[in-house]
Amino acid sequence: MSCNPSFGGIGKGHLMREVDALDGLCSRICDQTGIHYKVLNRRKGPAVWGLRAQIDRKLYKQKMQEEILTTPLLTVLETAVEDLLLMEPDSGRPGKCRVNGVVLEDGSKVYAESVILTTGTFLRGMILIGLEAYPAGRLGDQPSIGLAQTLEKLGFVMGRLKTGTPPRIAKDSINFSILNKQMPDNPSVPFSFLSEAVWLRPEDQLPCYLTHTNSRVEQIVNENIHLNSHVKETTKGPRYCPSIESKVLRFPNRIHQVWLEPEGMDSDLIYPQGLSMTLPPNVQEQLITSIRGLEKARIVQPGYGVQYDYLDPRQITPSLETHLVQQLFFAGQINGTTGYEEAAAQGIIAGINASLRASGKPPFIISRTEGYIGVLIDDLTTLGTSEPYRMFTSRVEFRVSLRPDNADSRLTFRGYKEAGCVSQQRYNRASLVKSFLEEGISALKSLQFSGYKWKKLIPEAPVSITKSEPQSALDILKYEEVDMAMLAKVLPEPLAKFAECQELMNRLKIEATYELSLILQQQEIEEVQRDETLQLPKDLDYLTIREVSLSQEVREKLQSSRPQTIGAASRIPGVTPAAIVNLLRFVKTTKQKEESVHKLSLSNRYLSDTDRLQKIEL
Amino acid sequence: MWRRLGALVCVPAQSTRLCTSVPRHCSGRPISGGRATIFALSSGQGKCGVAVIRTSGPASGPAVLGLTASRALPQPRVATLRLLRDPGSAEPLDRGLILWFPGPHSFTGEDCAEFHVHGGPAVVSAVLGALGSIPGLRPAEAGEFTKRAFQNGKLSLTEVEGLGDLIHAETEAQRRQALRQLQGELGQLCQGWGETLTTALAHLEAYIDFSEDDNIEEGVLEWVDSTVQGLREALLAHLQDARRGERLRSGAQVVIAGPANAGKSSLINLLSRRPVAIVSPEPGTTRDVVESAVDIGGFPALLSDTAGLRDSPDLVEQEGVRRAQDRLAQADVVLALLDATDLASACSRHFLETVVTPGGPSTPSRRILLVLNKADLLPEGMQPRGPALPPHLLLSCKTEAGLEAVLASLKRELAAVCGDPTVGPPVLTRARHRHYLQSCCEALGRYEQSRTRDLVLAAEELRAARRQLGYLTGQAGAEDILEVIFRDFCIGK
Repeated sequence: MSCNPSFGGIGKGHLMREVDALDGLCSRICDQTGIHYKVLNRRKGPAVWGLRAQIDRKLYKQKMQEEILTTPLLTVLETAVEDLLLMEPDSGRPGKCRVNGVVLEDGSKVYAESVILTTGTFLRGMILIGLEAYPAGRLGDQPSIGLAQTLEKLGFVMGRLKTGTPPRIAKDSINFSILNKQMPDNPSVPFSFLSEAVWLRPEDQLPCYLTHTNSRVEQIVNENIHLNSHVKETTKGPRYCPSIESKVLRFPNRIHQVWLEPEGMDSDLIYPQGLSMTLPPNVQEQLITSIRGLEKARIVQPGYGVQYDYLDPRQITPSLETHLVQQLFFAGQINGTTGYEEAAAQGIIAGINASLRASGKPPFIISRTEGYIGVLIDDLTTLGTSEPYRMFTSRVEFRVSLRPDNADSRLTFRGYKEAGCVSQQRYNRASLVKSFLEEGISALKSLQFSGYKWKKLIPEAPVSITKSEPQSALDILKYEEVDMAMLAKVLPEPLAKFAECQELMNRLKIEATYELSLILQQQEIEEVQRDETLQLPKDLDYLTIREVSLSQEVREKLQSSRPQTIGAASRIPGVTPAAIVNLLRFVKTTKQKEESVHKLSLSNRYLSDTDRLQKIEL
Repeated sequence: MWRRLGALVCVPAQSTRLCTSVPRHCSGRPISGGRATIFALSSGQGKCGVAVIRTSGPASGPAVLGLTASRALPQPRVATLRLLRDPGSAEPLDRGLILWFPGPHSFTGEDCAEFHVHGGPAVVSAVLGALGSIPGLRPAEAGEFTKRAFQNGKLSLTEVEGLGDLIHAETEAQRRQALRQLQGELGQLCQGWGETLTTALAHLEAYIDFSEDDNIEEGVLEWVDSTVQGLREALLAHLQDARRGERLRSGAQVVIAGPANAGKSSLINLLSRRPVAIVSPEPGTTRDVVESAVDIGGFPALLSDTAGLRDSPDLVEQEGVRRAQDRLAQADVVLALLDATDLASACSRHFLETVVTPGGPSTPSRRILLVLNKADLLPEGMQPRGPALPPHLLLSCKTEAGLEAVLASLKRELAAVCGDPTVGPPVLTRARHRHYLQSCCEALGRYEQSRTRDLVLAAEELRAARRQLGYLTGQAGAEDILEVIFRDFCIGK
């Protein structure tokens, strides 16, 4: 965790649940190291609840290292990678060469079937504070230059992005007594499907505090903007405002929120979320101390900006392997994303696929109909990105179906069967939960009564008593005023057994809330999946292929995005309907040819058999 | 995919990414299970005696039952003569042949039905309208029948080969048409509604994605609510303006207007082929509006003969002139009639200036056909004398010279006003317009219902509403929503 001391949030919490459903580590570690757990968006419907927690930075590092270092068969080596080892490509697959290891800083080599690059902000990283700039991947760490050059020489299209981090403030220099205090949730909601509870009781967790910027802050930014090369430069930052400077410039005359977040249980640092800045250190101090509650604040480490190389993610497949170099995978900021959760989501997919690839198995791909991870990767690989890509729930078409509560039902089984990345324990648990939910829903559906009877059973439910057709218990559970416990109380037979576990009761309630929408979305999902099953050949050279009639513009677009399916191709802007139809025809022709070749080889075998037969007769 | 194709077609230059770009059900709510059922006019281009309307999908059976008001489906693959009725009003539409192809033994592999009806635009439009009103049915997008056939393994390779070009041609035509429409009043309305809806959805999405991390201003939800309500009211008002959609069924308003004694009543009698109005050489004979329903080249038209426009001391005639003015204001097509021998008179000039070429920004956008009557009284080979005239036709109601040309021009105007389903998609287009606006409106209604229950469900309805509108204006995507969010709100940590 090199920036904010928190995990999760709206959209990001969804990613964490999905990573956990595939047995990724970060959710479980966060359940052992959080110091303030809070679910965002509680009032807005369970499909967009955002699991989030302040994490103890030191503890997270410690627990994560313990977990990694005790993983069987895993060797960990910490050093800089300077170059890639390359060899001739496997014929029959796209790619101009194949990676078979890396060269370390000291010149030694490590051989590998697959290599994953997760370079973060280190590729030609440059730190900027005020007008100063120096090469670094992170404050105090050297950037990676050799590797960047290697990638460039291989022909990867590269771009430049920027991000920033706020100054850290000494906890004992802040006057918290005059600020709004935010308490954590009680009870805490764990991130992982495997955690019954988080490690720390709510009353032992730390609070956060809220303060705001003011007109003085704005004045300081405006007076010193000439001392700030990071903000002025043209390198693309996100459209959402990462730094206080851009907030002031784009939305003048407003006050902005600043959350004061603890960095750890025994840390004496406070992270002022909302105050990323790259002003010179003395101006940073001036700015910070003009904020309410921070009048006497001491800056322990100034804020700074980072600029770094990323690679156009249209150069990777949905399994995160590069088109150019076989067996080379990219994950995280190298693909243009921002955030721990976005990185974790790619990390697990790259890890799974690097391993599947090494053992010659088919790739593990999550579709945008299956998870936020799928949306993230499909967006990146078909559209690319020109600003740091962050997950938002508004990017997700099937938001009602892809919820934090059901990530296990969506992904755990596939992870277990296809990727082999899921533990038996998790698989068993997910199976149990799934059959429990299915049973519960069918029990709820089977209980049908008139509105009149429901009103008598549960007076709180706003049921219309005039409606003639009977309503099911699932319909009644949709009402905000009704919960599973109430239903189980009045109808213990057969509902009592579904009211023994709070988590499962909550999940049934959520299923009821979205039931109608879910049925509709399921139809749409199937429609999309029909297009996704039409695979495009991986090694197609769109620029030269003659069999498909395509305009030059469309050829270039397809060549640079290399969609894997007709569905993905049709999501690329500028690819016309006619082009899609022509591709469709091509897919069909290729399929037929393959089938006839297959038949031919079968008949060849027959032929040779008859040959033999004749010989025997002779 | 094809649903999205439709979108690509409408605004080809725009990036069509999105949320919204994945295929969606679009007729309100499809009936239980399976995909939406699609319908379209599938007989060839050009005017024809018989038009074939086809459906494909699980609701094909209900569609046949609904239109024939019967309880049993006809025998499969056997042509059956049936009276078709509007399922809502039970009004008879046409008598036609029905063919029922239960899947998988059909062109698309799904349940299919064919309706062979009379080829007139009014009938075709009425049957399409009736189909659109059945739950689970929606107009097909370009190439959608073929796509389904392809998906169900029903197309041979050669059939698919022709498809690319076909889709290209169709979508080209659609694109041109979309462009044409976008220049019109309706296009502008849709465009405006689309922008309003995008902004409303963006603000709601911002509230969902950011309001707790970042300080999204208070009052955002209230603003979205009132915007959605306003939009819904505007759409309802538009949809209730039945005239626009019903022209083809009830007939376009063709108003014959002109100065007194130009021969308006003679013209209505001539076009009606019967004496509906009293004709006399006396100016001011017609005092009330006289109507006659006629069929001109397959288009139903309601002809109105009006009182001659002049100042008259007669109170009854004054009222007649007022009614004539009212009628003129509602006209789809105006047959402006002048006496070819009397063009220089004050009356004729005033009529030319005020009705035929009034100019100025307040000019109503109606179609005017200027006809000069009494051509038989002009000296042989002489052009009518008078002020510089806009394009016009010469006619003699007495000898019927020039009648062919007047009829041909009138038919052209009517085709433009009503749309001709046999020569291209305008009527289909209007059926589409209505269909999608209706669905959009319904989704906005459901927004209001789900708003207090669950914000995600409410947003889902706005997404659905926007998708419906997107079929008319070109789809906009998640990227556009983010664009508005980052424009209107300060977000970030």
